[in-house]
Amino acid sequence: MSTPLLAVQGLRTYFSMSEGVVKAVDGVDFNVDENETFCVVGETGCGKSVTALSIMRLIFHPGKIVEGKVIYKGTDLLKLPENEMRNIRGKEIAMIFQNPMRSLNPVFTIGDQISEAPIAHFHSPRKEAWKSAIELISKVRMPDPEIRAKSYPHVLSGGMRQRVMIAMMISCEPSLLIADEPTTSVDVTIQAQIMDLLLDIKKKRKMSMMLITHNFGLVAEMGDRAAVMYCGKVAEIGSVKEIFREPLHPYTRGLLKCLPVGFERKKELEVIPGTLVSPVNPPQGCRFSPRCNLVMGKCKLEEPILTRQGRDHLVACHLYGGK
Amino acid sequence: MEEALLRTHRLTKHFPVKKGTIAKTSYVHAVDDVSLHVNKGETLAIVGESGSGKSTLGLMCLKLIRPTSGEIYLNAIEISKMAERNFKKLRRRMGIVFQDPSASLNPRMTIKQTLTRPLALHGMKNQDEIDSRITEMLERVGLGREHSERYPHELSGGQQQRVAIARAIILNPELVILDEPTSSLDVSVQAQILNLLFRLQKEFHLTYLFISHDLVMVRHVSDRIAVMYLGQIVEVADTDELFDNTIHPYTAALLSAVPIPRPRTGEVDRLIVSGEPPSPIDPPKGCRFHPRCMFAVERCRTEEPELRVTADNHIVACHRAGEIDVSGYTKELWKVIEAA
Amino acid sequence: MSTLSALGATLLRLLHYRTSFVGLLVILGIAVLAVGAPIVAPRGYAVTDPANKLLPPSVEYLFGTDALGRDLFSRIVYGARIALWVGLLVTFIEAAVGVPLGVIAGYYGGTVDKVITAVTDIVWAFPPVVLALGVVTVMGAGLTQVVVAIALTSWPYFTRICRAKVASFADRGFVLAARSIGESDSDIMARYLLPNLIPSIIVVSTLTLPAAILSTTALSFLGFGAQPPTPDWGAILADGASDLSIAPWIGTFPGVFLVITALGFNLLGDGLRDILDPKLRI
Repeated sequence: MSTPLLAVQGLRTYFSMSEGVVKAVDGVDFNVDENETFCVVGETGCGKSVTALSIMRLIFHPGKIVEGKVIYKGTDLLKLPENEMRNIRGKEIAMIFQNPMRSLNPVFTIGDQISEAPIAHFHSPRKEAWKSAIELISKVRMPDPEIRAKSYPHVLSGGMRQRVMIAMMISCEPSLLIADEPTTSVDVTIQAQIMDLLLDIKKKRKMSMMLITHNFGLVAEMGDRAAVMYCGKVAEIGSVKEIFREPLHPYTRGLLKCLPVGFERKKELEVIPGTLVSPVNPPQGCRFSPRCNLVMGKCKLEEPILTRQGRDHLVACHLYGGK
Repeated sequence: MEEALLRTHRLTKHFPVKKGTIAKTSYVHAVDDVSLHVNKGETLAIVGESGSGKSTLGLMCLKLIRPTSGEIYLNAIEISKMAERNFKKLRRRMGIVFQDPSASLNPRMTIKQTLTRPLALHGMKNQDEIDSRITEMLERVGLGREHSERYPHELSGGQQQRVAIARAIILNPELVILDEPTSSLDVSVQAQILNLLFRLQKEFHLTYLFISHDLVMVRHVSDRIAVMYLGQIVEVADTDELFDNTIHPYTAALLSAVPIPRPRTGEVDRLIVSGEPPSPIDPPKGCRFHPRCMFAVERCRTEEPELRVTADNHIVACHRAGEIDVSGYTKELWKVIEAA
Repeated sequence: MSTLSALGATLLRLLHYRTSFVGLLVILGIAVLAVGAPIVAPRGYAVTDPANKLLPPSVEYLFGTDALGRDLFSRIVYGARIALWVGLLVTFIEAAVGVPLGVIAGYYGGTVDKVITAVTDIVWAFPPVVLALGVVTVMGAGLTQVVVAIALTSWPYFTRICRAKVASFADRGFVLAARSIGESDSDIMARYLLPNLIPSIIVVSTLTLPAAILSTTALSFLGFGAQPPTPDWGAILADGASDLSIAPWIGTFPGVFLVITALGFNLLGDGLRDILDPKLRI
């Protein structure tokens, strides 16, 4: 088995807020291999976005990465000095966000913004960078690239801005693209276009993609492997097929049963009782125990750890001897 | 033929967009010539993407937006031109639940105050009566008496939406308009709210107008589906019929674009529509979908297609309705899913 | 939240903002002085004593005496009463005029909004002092006249804030939801919009209040406002201006108190704004 492109080990990122310490990411482990699409899926507050930001070391006060290793191509990113980390960002690992308007600078042209990274990382001369920018704009399937390059973000629609983001992020040919809810703010048909584009880019450039999402449909469509997160921890990791066909963790099972697919019309769905826990004071033992219908005594005392249950399937649950 | 509970006839809404005092005023064609009906007891879904006009349509039915032209019939009574003071007593026959529950509740009113308002506005004066009705409603939507003294920000998103639902049904309406009621909620909470809506529909014999862009959910929730594109209805059919025998290319693109949360058993051929949705200001001539339609011919560019009945309860607005077959895309897709 | 618990919660949070808390203490101090004037300054502000004129500060006369032998400390303390009273009155009038106009403009939009905005802009552009001069010419000099003049030029503060806030709320679900249950426009404005504006109104008040005090004292300084022997700080400053070389304390103390009071309100306002309505940050 080849070494993974990215290995996250024991990552903990905490935020010191006035109501207490929010343990947004509390002991997360997973690997992303080369050439694969790895999905991190979960509901609000599970820590999936903070995980991505931690990998990029984009955590600022009052947040802090308190523990863990993020090993990328053999180097622990968390131990790098900031100037070296800047070389990684954009060039090796790139990230696209949910709301592209926030990430685009309204006073610079599209062409300028796409040229920015190659000029910074490779010191490309401006004219060359501009030409590559035009090429990238056409690669992300936008019409009239020369005209587009000269326009400003505000004239573009949401879908187009997201394409511009993608162009910006792949301009330096990163090995890993992290996409944090990239299509939540666009329409379904545009989402299909963007997802299609991302898969195409990934295939052509042999790039790995880490997709953060709450949409299980996207996981099924795009993912090779996935990690399900709950309350700052990973509940289950496996190939997408296995997670859907044989979900092991009660949370994963419960979540999949909530999706209204394949049931009799208007039939009531099986729900997970209770509500999402507060990340300030997580319950003792297994975080999911208060809501689990298969809870045992042990669950409330001891936190389960990820154990292997198949060739490529890990789960953190005492039902499977989580010790 | 039984009269529908709600019926719109050629309903239109154009919003003016000022371009300056000298330039000609343009209009956003939010809703154009929409004739729909909702039967008592059914759930009719209105699906479409942004710019389709589905929300505007819903708001017009409740007279929250004044139509530019057209009529709305509630229990066969024309309401769009009615004065507010006359409409007030009919208003209670309809309720609405909005997409963002935290925005739809007044942050400065307790839950009890929020639920008292509709009762007080429609004649209930006795405080005991009001209290007991509120308690009853809270129970029905899965909340307790302790929630009534709280403020919206003290409740979770799911609980806030339950309050919004309680407000919508507290006057015993016949029709409830649900405008993306679960879009801002987490998956596990969405399921809870859907279950609540099913239960309430059965218990109170409610009719639902379910506006959504989530086709997976719509398939599970509705009896009939109307598809809107750029302000117009392009296809209406019973749910199964729409998925099994899709006729309009846009519907096929929409249905096949949905990422379905079930593993694939094989490769899927999607109908990926090209281009961006055009602006509803000065929409394209002819069929509004023609710039993005891979089946467009000359006629589509010049002539607007009319809604025609093609099969039992199935209406489509497409010039090439009998000539092309797009049903394959959606049928195969959903079959591949189901088989897993 | 219920008003009392909201007040308590706000005060608790204010503890985190040290400068604002200091501002609050300063204002409370001035208020205590003002309210307790008869006890703190039993000598009164109008008692003249020519034999003891122009005395420097001492144990007996804390702030010294002025050209007519009046105890400056008493005059300052009673002046605090006037300052706070004037500030509150002006702010109240400004809010009473400005808030409803802003709410109506923001809610209805269209022509109503255009008209109100035009009027607001015109009044906004009007220099208060000039208007005060006009009012005084017509109605004669006096504190009341000046109060009215200042209030009539500064209500746009409130109109603008309220209009902007209401316009942002009008899109929000709860206004639409209120209409969907049949609420009338006036009920929506009164029950739904107004309570949500209160934090912003409070924050704006902490800024207009000191501005009002400063404006009225300026006019009193020029002789248009408080007439003798009313111990408005501006009037005292005017007294002190002529005797600045021989009795600098007469001009200094009112100036110091003005600065402290205005500063106190501004500091408090900063903290309150951060707690109640960060979007008002200028």
